[in-house]
Amino acid sequence: MSRIQKDVSLDVFDKGPKAYRGYTLFSPVGGTEVYLIDMKGRPIHTWRMPFEIGSHGVLLPNGNLLCAVTDHEEPLADFDGAAGSLLEMDWDSNVVWRYDDPYMHHDFHRMPNGNTILLRWVPTPNDIACKVKGGLPDTEREKIMWSDSIREINPAGKVVWEWLGYEHLDPEIDKVCPLCFRNEWTHANSFIVTPYGDILASFMKTNTIAIINKENGDITWRWGGFLTLAHPHDVSLLDNGDVMVLGCGIHLAGMEAGYSEILQIETKSNNIVWEFREYSVVDFYTPCKGSLQRLPNGNTLICEGDTGRIFELTEGKEIVWEYVNPFYQTSPIYGRNNMLFGVYRYGHDYQGLKGNAPKATKPAMVPQEKGMPEGKKLSTSKEQVVRDRLGSLGY
Amino acid sequence: MNYARTDILMAIPREKHGVRIYKAEKTCDGYTLINPFTSNDVWLIDMRGNYVHKWVMPTIPRNHGVFLPNGNLLYSTMAPLPSIEDMSVPRHWGVSAGLVEVDWEGNLVWKYLDKCQSHTFYRMENGNTMIPRVEVVPDEVAVRVKGGMPGSEDRGAVWSDGLHEVTPNGEVIWKWSAADHLDLDVHVMCPLSYRGDWTHMNSCEVLPDGNTLTSFRNIDTICIIDKATGNIKWQWGPGEVSHQHAPTLLDNGNILLFDNGAHRKDGSLINYSRAVEVDPATNNIVWEYKGDPPRSFYSSLISNCQRLPNGNTLICEGMKGRVFEVTTDGEIVWEYLNPFYGYHDVHGYYGHSNSLFRAYRYMPDHLGLKDKNLSPENLAWVNGLYGPEALGD
Repeated sequence: MSRIQKDVSLDVFDKGPKAYRGYTLFSPVGGTEVYLIDMKGRPIHTWRMPFEIGSHGVLLPNGNLLCAVTDHEEPLADFDGAAGSLLEMDWDSNVVWRYDDPYMHHDFHRMPNGNTILLRWVPTPNDIACKVKGGLPDTEREKIMWSDSIREINPAGKVVWEWLGYEHLDPEIDKVCPLCFRNEWTHANSFIVTPYGDILASFMKTNTIAIINKENGDITWRWGGFLTLAHPHDVSLLDNGDVMVLGCGIHLAGMEAGYSEILQIETKSNNIVWEFREYSVVDFYTPCKGSLQRLPNGNTLICEGDTGRIFELTEGKEIVWEYVNPFYQTSPIYGRNNMLFGVYRYGHDYQGLKGNAPKATKPAMVPQEKGMPEGKKLSTSKEQVVRDRLGSLGY
Repeated sequence: MNYARTDILMAIPREKHGVRIYKAEKTCDGYTLINPFTSNDVWLIDMRGNYVHKWVMPTIPRNHGVFLPNGNLLYSTMAPLPSIEDMSVPRHWGVSAGLVEVDWEGNLVWKYLDKCQSHTFYRMENGNTMIPRVEVVPDEVAVRVKGGMPGSEDRGAVWSDGLHEVTPNGEVIWKWSAADHLDLDVHVMCPLSYRGDWTHMNSCEVLPDGNTLTSFRNIDTICIIDKATGNIKWQWGPGEVSHQHAPTLLDNGNILLFDNGAHRKDGSLINYSRAVEVDPATNNIVWEYKGDPPRSFYSSLISNCQRLPNGNTLICEGMKGRVFEVTTDGEIVWEYLNPFYGYHDVHGYYGHSNSLFRAYRYMPDHLGLKDKNLSPENLAWVNGLYGPEALGD
């Protein structure tokens, strides 16, 4: 809950079979430990990192943990999400692979072929940077506007593919949020690789989510903009092709109540077909980070990053599991916090857990009723979202 | 609407509502006025959280009520939005159905209708009422207003604010318009605000010297308006506070205000609010309260602070429906969470909310409370549902 930060015990709210049974992985930002807990909040395993967590760790199908870490010495160490190394560790916290890149940040993805894709900052050429609109004036970092690149490396660390944002973004469309610093153009914070091999990414400062064609780097789909999306953080692709995004909700135009939302967008029509806001909207608010994961049982695991709260939500908006990260850290950027960047649930039969986690005694998934209780389907266009937002003001 | 519009607690009560901290040896005891934003009930509670008095008003507040030394409640009421073609009121505000003053039993004692009255009001010592109101800005000024989101005027118009001083007979004897006195190059709007709402005056306090202390949210500015000339004789805010509310003059000459922090320009992605005390002689902040960690105390909109006689400060974290009392060292010695939730008739962006525009504490010797029955027994049925025993530990 975003109302009051409380020192919490290891209490967990667990509604039994309604929640997708398995293990939850979370990485307290600024700490040096990554935790795997069971559905009752009991720690199953802990990885100990040699450096502080810069963003998050992921449990790979091969049973290793892949985690982005930082030693706070990187040139842009004070930028949100900065990490200097990717470490792959085995179950006993031995480092089995390491890749260093001082400009790496936020998110990464291990491909089936063993390559790794990661986000990194690159300086935007001046002739393009000066055309970029928006942001607070004169807030570049020592006259540089950094933008994002997506890079693929092979296990030997060789760069085999690179996408440079400034070659494909459009200064007329991709405008920086009016209240953000121009030290960065886009501030990408999350991406996934689609089954077609494209990249679906979330660009926080331009309030946009986009699909990038890997062959030619073209942006083939964009969604967002003012009044429809405010500071997205985490995108996901569903089996039916819909995109889910966490809209943090900070720097929302107009009367900003201070709430976050989850949107599910049908890419063909660009309409919103499902959305989640808390009943009392300010109760779900994470201005700075967070994640979402659609689970096999149709529920969504949501991380309200700023408050360290993780909860599992049914399609009918019922919370069936909830846990708050009890491990507070003190970080140079965030102060004392229990923030989480990204959180993952792995079912009992997940390949990466084979042989390591306790055997399950109950099935991970129980057949559930799907869909909205009233049977009413949403299909809200972007134009309608803008009208609704203006309407809530009285227009 | 003449029925009590109070919703019951959410299905999963994640937090204890009502009074949940009370360190009796450190608090400044009195009665706190609780005025849920989405309800037409106004309550007085004691320090333990017993409801001891209730007024049922004709509508939800626009935006609150104030308990007067004469024992009456002064409250602004909300009218439904008119048709969208009606340019006599701005769309983003809701419309006033009038200021009403009711006695202890809720009987109407005084009413004044100004459709454009907005946010709040101030009952002066001389019996007059100072009323902030929205006013449309003349076109030749409107085109020169800077900032805000391009193209977001209200049906082409830019609104600003003014003040009317109204006598008990309803006569307007003093007028002031912000557009006449603001500096278009200095008073630039927050880049995320709607241009229909240039200044957004959200506060009004007439000072002992007759001048008025007010707050303009969208330009991050608080100022003192000279009564005789209309000039702004002191102003402060940009770069220091963001979207602030409710500045109030303290006995020591400093000004206490609620710094919401919704749209700070420091590049930070963390929102936090502060209670801030500034010395107008030096423009320095001499005291502040922040949450620990800072983002645990945040209200993007509404809210206020009140300095209590023992030096503590009562703070209303409006959007969360939370009222708490802190010592100068920042120790929370009393805390209340509003259990009454509802939907706002006009402002959909609040959702299902227990927001409070402001909260005020009245001392036991407050003139208005003289000879009043403040026993929890008066509202036994309410206390049975929402009082300290009912809401448990």
